[in-house]
Amino acid sequence: MIERAVALAILVASGVYLGNAWPLPRGTAARPGAGMFPVAVGLFGMLVALTWLVSALRRAPAAAVPAIPADGFGRVIATGLALVGFCLVLPWLGYAIVAFLFAGVLLRRLGAGWTGALLVAAGSAAGSHYLFAVLLGVPLPRGIWE
Amino acid sequence: MGGLDGPPKPPDAPHAPAKPGRSSILRPPDAPHAPAKPGRSSNSGPAPTVSPLEGLVYGFSVALTPTNIFACFVGVVVGTIVGILPGIGPVGAMALLLPTTFALEPATGLIMLAGIYYGSMYGGSTTSILVNVPGEAASVVTAIDGYQMTKRGRAGAALTVSGVGSFVAGSVGVVGIVLAASWLADQALRFGPPEYFAMALAGLMLLSRLSGGSVLHSFLMVAIGLALGTVGMEPISAIRRFTFGSTQLSQGIELVPVIMGLYGVAEILLIAEAGIRKAHIASIRWRELLPTPEEWRRSGWPIARGSVIGFLTGLIPGPATVLATFIAYSVERKVSRTPERFGQGAIEGVAGPEAANNGATAGAMVPLLSLGIPFSPATAILLGALMITGVTPGPLLISQRPDVFWGVVASMYVGNLILLILNLPLVGLFVSVLRLPQHVLATLVLLLCLVGAYSLNNSQLDLWVLVVFGILGYGLRKLAIDASPLVVALVLGPLMEKALVQTLFMERGNLLGILSRPLALSLLLLGVLALLVPPVMRLLRRPRIVPELSGASR
Repeated sequence: MIERAVALAILVASGVYLGNAWPLPRGTAARPGAGMFPVAVGLFGMLVALTWLVSALRRAPAAAVPAIPADGFGRVIATGLALVGFCLVLPWLGYAIVAFLFAGVLLRRLGAGWTGALLVAAGSAAGSHYLFAVLLGVPLPRGIWE
Repeated sequence: MGGLDGPPKPPDAPHAPAKPGRSSILRPPDAPHAPAKPGRSSNSGPAPTVSPLEGLVYGFSVALTPTNIFACFVGVVVGTIVGILPGIGPVGAMALLLPTTFALEPATGLIMLAGIYYGSMYGGSTTSILVNVPGEAASVVTAIDGYQMTKRGRAGAALTVSGVGSFVAGSVGVVGIVLAASWLADQALRFGPPEYFAMALAGLMLLSRLSGGSVLHSFLMVAIGLALGTVGMEPISAIRRFTFGSTQLSQGIELVPVIMGLYGVAEILLIAEAGIRKAHIASIRWRELLPTPEEWRRSGWPIARGSVIGFLTGLIPGPATVLATFIAYSVERKVSRTPERFGQGAIEGVAGPEAANNGATAGAMVPLLSLGIPFSPATAILLGALMITGVTPGPLLISQRPDVFWGVVASMYVGNLILLILNLPLVGLFVSVLRLPQHVLATLVLLLCLVGAYSLNNSQLDLWVLVVFGILGYGLRKLAIDASPLVVALVLGPLMEKALVQTLFMERGNLLGILSRPLALSLLLLGVLALLVPPVMRLLRRPRIVPELSGASR
């Protein structure tokens, strides 16, 4: 079931890509335009996705993906949400605070105790800030400290 | 353009800016700028012709400067650690450390990153042998007999043979690079856009066949990679494609966050899913490190065969290090007079594959350094590192930047020597890295991925690319789909497009004109054969098996 859904999603994505590539100038064979290669790639993608979908539909639905235990899935979702959260609030809160919060929340969710989580979060936020912002001179977002 | 005296000239793409930035990484090496036909002057100036031996001596003078020795040391130590740790592999680690190379000389940065690549092969074998946990896919085969040796109290001998085998293979690989890369670079000066197009296409076809899993899945990854490679400014007409009005997207999708996401973040999501595990680590005593004379005798030929198999496999597009270990193991089993010992702790099953995976890392450097074409995600990172510092890998690298070419090649020998000296006495220290709690490790790696991705261009877009490809990579791993064709296609896509457009200009729109060029034709045939031969062989075998089976059942 998942395989069919993924194949369908990729087919749709290929269609969208091709739809966006189509209006680009394709030129002629002797003088190709900027749209020629993307159109070829889009057609190739659609063909492959369609073949995959058809072969997935013809097969008996099998467990293409092994079942994920609920607690394991919960940790994956939590990690994914922490990553998205990091990207969303970074410009507003600045790197130091966001890195501390990210590490702390993730460590707690992955099984660390409160003290360990706070200590490691503080150390990793400070250490990575020092390495990148101070030693390598990367202008990390400062957010509210700006 | 055109006129009476020949076909219209293909337009030249603007040269890649030599500053750190997304465009410099993603833009392909200016391969089609290499002289397309004899007589066209190259921009290399008078290139001093040196023999491979002279080149190597010069390379040692570069590699043995204090800065480069230190870079090599850092690279191989980091490589060993990431090889030991299941989670972050060499590709993720190289991507992670890429920003630290911005401030370094091109040769120094590349020496460090290459050290991570081959250093990880040493580290991966350590955990395979001691804990039965391969830190790297290329060390999976080592675990079969290596762990059995540990259970029989011969872990030290397995580690020593593995280290010596890796060192020998690394040394053989250096000789191989010197000979093969200089020869190939000479040949490649005669390549024109049709040859580059054919090579990229054949490479993707070979990769699709060899990357494991179904060819359909690999094709899908190739399609996604090629599509991602078209995002941004078109290299010839400078038309913006798929940018949706975003200035950042007009410079293309950065390779590094894609790789960090697909490999680093995806692996951490898998660790998060599996939960926290504690490894039981066997302790090693000094006196146990010495193999018996019989074990040395049994390891000699497997190391020699593994070195050659590894180097040759490394030249082929695909997961060379993994493939080489499987081939070496199966060869050793076939040539052995006592194949029943394999799987029970045969030292040949450690020696051959361990030599092979190190040989493959050396072999994989040949197409990168001599053609400027990476055939694996790890070499794609090395290409990115070179492009960031304004160095264009390819046939002219040897003459234009001999310090980079020869320095990196010589540093591989130095690095292998450092690894041999470090790994055996410090094996206990390295393995103790596994005692670091996994949740701490996972959090640190993710944080480094995030800040590393941001620091490439100080761009929020790269963070989103990292997260999206991390989630995609996790999904691909769950579906058992290999992501490496996507990465290689993302790198080769722009090169392919440019070479294709230039070919069409040259051939006046007749793409079949490629077939009149022997080298391009041979490369295309190779790719097509790689795709077609296995299914045709399966079809041919099928009718024979059915009657045999029916006869047997009767």
